[in-house]
Amino acid sequence: MPQAPMPELTSSVKLKYVKLGYQYLVNHFLSFLLIPIMAIGAVELLRMGPEEILNVWNSLEFDLVQVLCTSFFVIFISTVYFMSKPRTIYLVDYSCYKPPVTCRVPFATFMEHSRLILKDKPKSVEFQMRILERSGLGEETSLPPAIHYIPPTPTMDAARSEAQLVIFTAMDDLFKKTGLKPKDVDILIVNCSLFSPTPSLSAMVINKYKLRSNIKSVNLSGMGCSAGLISVDLARDLLQVHPNSNAIIVSTEIITPNYYQGNERAMLLPNCLFRMGAAAILMSNRRSDRWRAKYKLSHLVRTHRGSDDKSFYCVYEQEDKEGHVGINLSKDLMAIAGEALKANITTIGPLVLPASEQLLFLLSLIGRKIFNPKLKPYIPDFKLAFEHFCIHAGGRAVIDELQKNLQLSGEHVEASRMTLHRFGNTSSSSLWYELSYIESKGRMRRGDRVWQIAFGSGFKCNSAVWKCNRTIKTPKDGPWSDCIDRYPVFIPEVVKL
Amino acid sequence: MGIVQENRVEVKSMLTAVSSKPSRSGRVHPFTTLDNAMSRHTLHVIVYYPRSPFGSFDLDSVRISLSELLSMYPPVVGRVAKTPDGILEVKCNDAGLRTLKAKVCVGIDEWLRSADGHDESDLTAWEDMPEDPSTWAPFRLQINEFEGGGVAIGLSCPHRQADATTLTVLLKSWTEAQRRRCLVHPPSFSPLPSILTDDTDAVKPNSASISEPISTKTATATFRFSSSAFKKYVEEEGIFPKASPLDVFAALFWTRVALVKRKSHDRVCMCVDFRRLLPNPLPYGFFGNALNFSSLEMTNVADQGIVHVARLINDHVTNLTVEKIRSDLNRVGEQELMYGRDLTIVNMEHMIVEGDPMMYDAVFEDGVRPVHVSYRIGNVGGEGVIMVMPSPEKGFGRVVSVTLPEEEMSKLLVDQEILRFEPKIILSGVK
Repeated sequence: MPQAPMPELTSSVKLKYVKLGYQYLVNHFLSFLLIPIMAIGAVELLRMGPEEILNVWNSLEFDLVQVLCTSFFVIFISTVYFMSKPRTIYLVDYSCYKPPVTCRVPFATFMEHSRLILKDKPKSVEFQMRILERSGLGEETSLPPAIHYIPPTPTMDAARSEAQLVIFTAMDDLFKKTGLKPKDVDILIVNCSLFSPTPSLSAMVINKYKLRSNIKSVNLSGMGCSAGLISVDLARDLLQVHPNSNAIIVSTEIITPNYYQGNERAMLLPNCLFRMGAAAILMSNRRSDRWRAKYKLSHLVRTHRGSDDKSFYCVYEQEDKEGHVGINLSKDLMAIAGEALKANITTIGPLVLPASEQLLFLLSLIGRKIFNPKLKPYIPDFKLAFEHFCIHAGGRAVIDELQKNLQLSGEHVEASRMTLHRFGNTSSSSLWYELSYIESKGRMRRGDRVWQIAFGSGFKCNSAVWKCNRTIKTPKDGPWSDCIDRYPVFIPEVVKL
Repeated sequence: MGIVQENRVEVKSMLTAVSSKPSRSGRVHPFTTLDNAMSRHTLHVIVYYPRSPFGSFDLDSVRISLSELLSMYPPVVGRVAKTPDGILEVKCNDAGLRTLKAKVCVGIDEWLRSADGHDESDLTAWEDMPEDPSTWAPFRLQINEFEGGGVAIGLSCPHRQADATTLTVLLKSWTEAQRRRCLVHPPSFSPLPSILTDDTDAVKPNSASISEPISTKTATATFRFSSSAFKKYVEEEGIFPKASPLDVFAALFWTRVALVKRKSHDRVCMCVDFRRLLPNPLPYGFFGNALNFSSLEMTNVADQGIVHVARLINDHVTNLTVEKIRSDLNRVGEQELMYGRDLTIVNMEHMIVEGDPMMYDAVFEDGVRPVHVSYRIGNVGGEGVIMVMPSPEKGFGRVVSVTLPEEEMSKLLVDQEILRFEPKIILSGVK
């Protein structure tokens, strides 16, 4: 028996070295070409000797006008190049909201409230229990104060106070961390999908912090869990147009008004998964921020599958038979998410993948189109393009599906799974909790690339690629500061309730 | 008395307060034989403060300190469950403490003056345990805000799960957590020491019998005696030097109640907390029941002088040895009703630690001490209960709470011997 694994081991080791060699060759192809040329040139120069070089130089017959024109031309081209280069967008810092311990929702409390409120519908209660058992959530997720009441009291006042609590706490923390003064904020973007009062949440922020009257404020609502990256995209575009500015993005989801009060099973699912959370992010295009910024934005790709009816209807807000409003999640959600992801990867792949993977993908594409359509499509190895992955913690199924599709290891999806366990599905802010997890574990080094993927109703798949600007020390405060040592935890397939 | 009065307490909302950290999964808190013997009764503590520490309620720091404290008391936030053998125990599943908020339409002083025992029970939340206790919260907290300021915090639980000392230490620890102090009496969940439990039988499955509820209508009144009243009595009557205020006031009430009952009524049941009476004393934070119920007899007690009765009580309490406690513990399984089968005298002297009454040290904000603390026992038997509690003023004063059938109570309220001491009578329902 010891003999049999040996050949496999040696062959897989050989394969690994072949793969590595191939990657080095293709990715550094230009250097491989350039080095011999430079070597030959250097050898020639040395061979010629100083007098011969001087002779060659004099024979070129430069005159003043030619030299001036050439240098002017060079300067002109470089100015045009630097002016038209898009500004570098920095992520200076961000802060995630940590709910108070009074908002914690243990499984037993959730199930007990469910039984007391739905006492005539034991089947719905059973359904909720099965969802909760398999959800991947832990015992420390939080719901806003109004939902802890029996029965819940989702008044507009309660929704506003939840919004004020989460947004103002996150923003206070951000101002403290970055030393930014409220009157210096140039752009403000607030995204909250399901709660959109008048005046808007962005107006509420401006009122609280007395922001400037010429601030560019935008309030995005209705855009689902991927609205966080949509806000980043919008901030990027605005920062291209306005020089020397900064932008604050607030991503949150207000749970209070959207807690489903009926008993339709497909609509009870969000109650089990969505939890309270918020994040405030400071972005900037100022050159002075390049030393203290944590990340640089490399790419942002948005893919919208709304033109396909099935994708459009898969996350649909509607009234049930009794008139309660809730969000209906279709059973094809995973398949649709997979397709949206494929569409997104097709666009982002060429931007981020190293040449070796792109070549392989091209060859496999040519092979499938021309020679044999039955050839398995080559899935590029995204682990070569990124060091860290932040997959929106929409639910355990989403993370499992993406881990399978992208062939990621357990450590790559650890941030997503642990965020789902500790904070639940906090919608658009979950990507920031995941990024904070990676930083808190001390894994973020200068030059590391992070891929944030978010899905949202519509159906959308948005990706952002960040490059770490400076090695980040483990933060002393932050949402993970008191519990990071307990993580990663083992999350069983089914929790016994 | 007996005037039907509309409910002055209105419950506004109900929620569940959770602990701040998840408890160890699968943890279970069993009941002792003594705990099971207390099953018929419920226990309620009501603490009155002149100023409420609660503000918006949802975001108060007091709620956060409550959650942190509840992490140290997993049985308080757990749920009662039956094992396959039919034995009750607490599953520590973090389900939470049911918390209710209520408004009282009168001021705190008016309430203390005019409310009676039944009104006071409106300040606490209670529901009997149903067949399936999985969603039934055993511990309930009710925050009652008075008109014009003031608050009454009512904590209820089945007597099976805790005694008065446990609840008092719990509330006091909450105030200590709020003021960011170390807990003076952290909770201890170890079982009763083996010295007491060696001969007791294994815990039997709880019998399904639910006896008839007590039908006599009882009334409660609270008598506040100042330190000078005790001193006056000692000077006038020349009591023996080792007499404690408990001896004197218990003797006083025993003799006067015996007179009112017009029986020769020679037997009472003394209820004493035995935490500090053991050779290896249990900490005050011991969670559960640590009460000794023993009988005390004297013929023609109504005609005896208080001095004799006080001496008898004093001897009885000082002679409580471990063996006596153990033998009393062995007999608890035979009784069903612990309080009120005979006239029961409850001794709370142990709550005075180094001269300070523990319950009046439960202070949320500096300078805002409780104005009154009531203890009520539910489903008390027809003979009644006399509770001798510490007074808010340190010293020899005591607060005596008496629960008796209505006609006996109305006679007791005009008893000249008692009124001689100039007690301040509150919570008697007299307008």
